[in-house]
Amino acid sequence: MEKQSAFNIHPMDQFIIDPILTGENLEWYSFTNQALWMLISLVSISFVFIYGSRKHQLVPGRLQSIAELLYFFIRDMIIDIVGQEGLRYFPYIFTLFILILFGNVLGLLPYSFTYTSHIAVTGFLALSVFIAVTIIGFVKNGFGFLSLFWISSAPLALRPILLIIEVISYFVRPVSHSIRLAGNMMAGHAVIKVFAGFAGALGIGAIAPIFAITAVYGLEMLVVVIQAYVFTILTCVYLNDALHPGH
Amino acid sequence: MASTSDNSVVGMPQLDFSTFPNQIFWLVVFCVVLFAIVKFFIIPRMEDIFVNRRKIIDGNIAKAEEIRLRVSEIEKLIEEELEKAKSQCDEIMNTSGKNIKEQMALALEDSKIATTQLINEAEGRLKELRDGSEAAIEKISEELASEIISKISRGK
Repeated sequence: MEKQSAFNIHPMDQFIIDPILTGENLEWYSFTNQALWMLISLVSISFVFIYGSRKHQLVPGRLQSIAELLYFFIRDMIIDIVGQEGLRYFPYIFTLFILILFGNVLGLLPYSFTYTSHIAVTGFLALSVFIAVTIIGFVKNGFGFLSLFWISSAPLALRPILLIIEVISYFVRPVSHSIRLAGNMMAGHAVIKVFAGFAGALGIGAIAPIFAITAVYGLEMLVVVIQAYVFTILTCVYLNDALHPGH
Repeated sequence: MASTSDNSVVGMPQLDFSTFPNQIFWLVVFCVVLFAIVKFFIIPRMEDIFVNRRKIIDGNIAKAEEIRLRVSEIEKLIEEELEKAKSQCDEIMNTSGKNIKEQMALALEDSKIATTQLINEAEGRLKELRDGSEAAIEKISEELASEIISKISRGK
C-alpha cells in the first residue's frame, strides 16, 4: 500500500481524518473534515429535498424531479423486494440510501472528503443493518427465523451442509456489505489521485493521465450511484429475509 | 497505520483505529439528524405531493369515466330514436302502400264498369242501327218493286 515514489504521490492522504477546528489532537468529539462533509451532505440533502420541492408542484421542476425520482425509486424498490409491509421500514432505508448516495457523489468533488470510503462508517452502517435485521427477524418470526438456515427445499442429506454455509454467509453479510462500499469508494478515489500525481509530474505529457482521470471520473460517477443502490438493495434483501425467512 | 510527522500516511487511514470513536460519533449524530429530516420533512412533503397528484389524476379519471357513461347513454338514446324512426317509417310505407293498392283496385274496378257500360251502349246502338237499316231496306225495296211494276204496266 505504500506509495512513497519519486513522483511523491500520496493517494491515501485524501482519506486522513483531520481535526479541522481543534488542532492536532483527535478526540472523539473533535470536528473533523469528515464531520464537515457529513454536514455538507446534510445541507445538500435539505437543499434538494426541502428547498427543491418547497412549492409542492404538481408538475415538478428540476430539483423536485430529482427528489421525487430518488424517493419513489427507493419506495418502489422496497415494495418490489419486501412487499407492502416493507414500507414500515422505508424511512430507515431511505435515510441510509441518501446518506450513502450523497456521501459518494459529494466525494467526487475535488478536495472533498468521502466519508463512505471509511470502513468505520460503512462498517457501522452495515452492522446496524445486520443487527436490526436480525432483531426484526426474531421479533417477527420467533425461532421460525432460524428456518432461514434450514433450507427445506433441499434434499435432507444436504441440509446440514447448507446450514453451515448459510450460517457462515449470514455472518459474513455485514463484512461484505461494508467492505464492498468502502473498497469501491477508496479504490476509485485512490486511482484518480494516482493519475493526478502522474499528471503533476509529467509536465506537457500530462495529457495522457488527464485523459485517464476523465475516463476514471466518468466511471466513478457510475460507480458511486451503483454502490449506493447496491447497498440499499442488499439492505432490502436482508430485510426481506428477516420478514419472510421461509425460502 | 498512523499519520507520520509530515502529514502523509503510510498504509490506509481507514485502518487507523484511533479515529474510529470520532468517526462513529459524528456518523451517529449525522444519522440521527438525517433521519429526523427524512421523517419529519422529506416524507410528509413527498407524500403530500404524491397524494395531491394522485387525487388530481383520480379526479380526472373519474370525470372521464362520467363523461364516458354519459356518452354511452346518449348513444343509447340516439339508437332508440333511430329505431323508433325506422319503425315509423316502415309503418308509413306499409300503410301508404296498402292505400295505393286499394285505390288502384278501386280505380280499376271503376274503369272496368265504365268500359263495360260503354261497350253495352255501343252494342245497343249498333243493334238499333242494324234493325233500322233492315226496315229501311224493306221499305225501299217495296217502293222500288211497286214503282217497277207501275212502270212496266204503263209501258205496255
